[in-house]
Amino acid sequence: MNPLFERLSSDFLPRFLGGVVVNFEIAGIAITLGLACGLLLAVARLYGGAVGAAAAAVIALMRAAPTFVVMFFLLNAIPRNATLFGVPLAPSGVMAVAVSLLPYAAAYIADAGVEALRQLRRGSPLGSLLFLPNVTRAFFVLVMSSSAGAAIGVPEGIAIILRQAEQLPSLGDKLALFAVGIVFFGIPLQVGFAVMSLVQRRLSRAVMRNRENALPAALQ
Amino acid sequence: MRRFTHSWVCVLAVVVGLLAALPLQAAEDRSPDAALARLLQEARAAAPGACTLPDIDGLIRILCSGRIRIGVRNRYPLFGTLGGETRQGYEVDVARAIGRQIGVDVEFVTVNAASRIPMVADGRVDLTIATMGHNTQRDDAVRFIRPHYYQSETTLVAPRDLAVADWQDIPGQTVCVTVGNGSNAELVSHGARLILFDEAVMLPDRLKDQTCTLAAQDDSFFASYLIEPRFADRFTQKFGFAQVPWGMAVAREGSERLARALDLTSQIFHRDGVFLDIARANRVNTGFLEKQNAVWQQPECNTDTGSANPACILPALDTTLQPTSFADHVTAFESGLEAWTGIDLSLPMLKTASAWSLFQNGVVNSLVLIAGALAATLLVGLAFGVALGSRFRLVRWPVRGITIALQSSPIVLTLVIAAAVTRPMFAYSSAVALAAAIAALGLSNGSNAGQAIAEAIVTIRAERGALRMGGVELFSRALGRSATQIVAFLINAAKGTPIASFIGAPELLSALTDIASFSSGRVTIYSLLLVFYTTVVMLVVWICGKFRSFLERSHALG
Repeated sequence: MNPLFERLSSDFLPRFLGGVVVNFEIAGIAITLGLACGLLLAVARLYGGAVGAAAAAVIALMRAAPTFVVMFFLLNAIPRNATLFGVPLAPSGVMAVAVSLLPYAAAYIADAGVEALRQLRRGSPLGSLLFLPNVTRAFFVLVMSSSAGAAIGVPEGIAIILRQAEQLPSLGDKLALFAVGIVFFGIPLQVGFAVMSLVQRRLSRAVMRNRENALPAALQ
Repeated sequence: MRRFTHSWVCVLAVVVGLLAALPLQAAEDRSPDAALARLLQEARAAAPGACTLPDIDGLIRILCSGRIRIGVRNRYPLFGTLGGETRQGYEVDVARAIGRQIGVDVEFVTVNAASRIPMVADGRVDLTIATMGHNTQRDDAVRFIRPHYYQSETTLVAPRDLAVADWQDIPGQTVCVTVGNGSNAELVSHGARLILFDEAVMLPDRLKDQTCTLAAQDDSFFASYLIEPRFADRFTQKFGFAQVPWGMAVAREGSERLARALDLTSQIFHRDGVFLDIARANRVNTGFLEKQNAVWQQPECNTDTGSANPACILPALDTTLQPTSFADHVTAFESGLEAWTGIDLSLPMLKTASAWSLFQNGVVNSLVLIAGALAATLLVGLAFGVALGSRFRLVRWPVRGITIALQSSPIVLTLVIAAAVTRPMFAYSSAVALAAAIAALGLSNGSNAGQAIAEAIVTIRAERGALRMGGVELFSRALGRSATQIVAFLINAAKGTPIASFIGAPELLSALTDIASFSSGRVTIYSLLLVFYTTVVMLVVWICGKFRSFLERSHALG
């Protein structure tokens, strides 16, 4: 057996896979919240006037807010016993990471949503469907970014790898373990991006075909 | 003659007897036991008449009522617990022993960390024995009994197989601590990265679920966990620091004789091993008490003035932080703002010299880190762009592999790898941590920017077909075409800089977390941090916008 795997604790693999599930869980919460906020902002942005300007300002602020700082702000600035209408406000570790990713997710979805709504207004429903691969791409970025949770003790995939690495004696073993982590995170990410690129290309082609078909009909 | 001789013998015997007895009498007078007996005798003699008088000393009041009200903890394992009607623990048994020594009943009153000082200062309890460290700040609020009845230290607990033996192993380690713990500043000064928790009871669970690599807390807190076989099998104390003596305390006003009686009692309990026996019975660490037992048996300490002898007693822990020259103005500003707007603003980073220094260094290091990350991203982007856009596979393929690996690695992992590779080459320092963070952020974002440049090169080549174009011209056009993406990754690099605190880079997030760990005002601290970074990133966005316009103009001109 590979010497590295002999040195890993017996429950490493299940714990690591459990950690990766936490990464996907965080990304899932963040993208759901991001869709709700981002689409609202996109609609407000296209509304124009003062509302549109305010939405643009909020989107700019969200783009500039660093995830890591937002996460520490949420954990430390909200008192542990704070409640709103009886509901506890202080977030758990997982929620703190998910909510800290919200500004990025909402800003990204607002931008993509604005483009999708413009396509719809132009009468191109297929063009607006390009919104879906963009959201999926954002989801995979969020999965990677959710590793920030390691800094506050959230038991996600990278945190599990780092804890295991602390038990390994040599730098070589540690680097080999980190490489395992990169492979495990890299495969779904690269596959996801490849699939989304494929979907995006097909949709784009379908959009082009639709336009080409629509043009002669309009000329008749 | 015989009668005369007999008389002289009698006189001589009396004189010799008196002379022999005088030194003996003086020695007995100076013992703490005799001093305590005299004090109690005087108080008992005064008691019947003085009981109804106002402002009587605490000792007389206790003797009048026949009971002493003692504040103890009720949820502090090994020291003070309450199960049903039964109180147990080292401090509970010490309280009972004091009651017996003075000859009164003990009435227990539950106190906690927040109420133990106000309750004794207000006279709601006569004495508090409640896991209270004696420091110079508390000296202003209550009168501490000397000698101290226990001493704790901050202990670092970690998994048994973790190689941590002393301070040399601490730089870069993640240590879980409780907010406001006085020893946090020392951990910070040794390069530890802190995770803050509100309550100590969360630490053992966070150790068990591996959230914390190490946890730092009073050894008295961990004592009960370390005698549990399941916990002790996995975790152990690595080393201790920041010793702090624990003191019983009485009110500063109206407790002069009571404090004196308790000083003498504490001396006697140390000398006779009473504290030691109670500690053993409660399975409390006895190292300090064994040393004190030896100290108080020494003739120079075993006197009625021993409790005031600096050679015998321990000093209070000096926790006073040196204020900044403008601390008073900051306090006045905070008060004025609260009176005017009702906003409770706290700016601890401006009030003490150590916090101010951490804050200044944090701001400077953050700006250096951002500038470095931007420069590294641009340089790596350009280099990777050239390599990935190369016609030579031998150049293109290895860089493509590195790019895929960097894109597949979450930034936290890339940072840790950079730190792990750097550490064997250079001794840990702030500069090394910053350099490793800049390299990691530059590689992570620069590889993506490089890929965007390379894709632009490929599309330009495809569009131009057979048209020949110089390498410099092609690259310049590719930069213009990929300007939006280059700028996006530059902004991403700037936004990512706070994550450098994860590997111990002393930027502002790290500095303010350290300040928050030993001072109040967490809400203000983290709000300011968010404002600082968001403002800086917006500034970077503005600068990058100008840079993108420049690249696109160059592209249009070309």
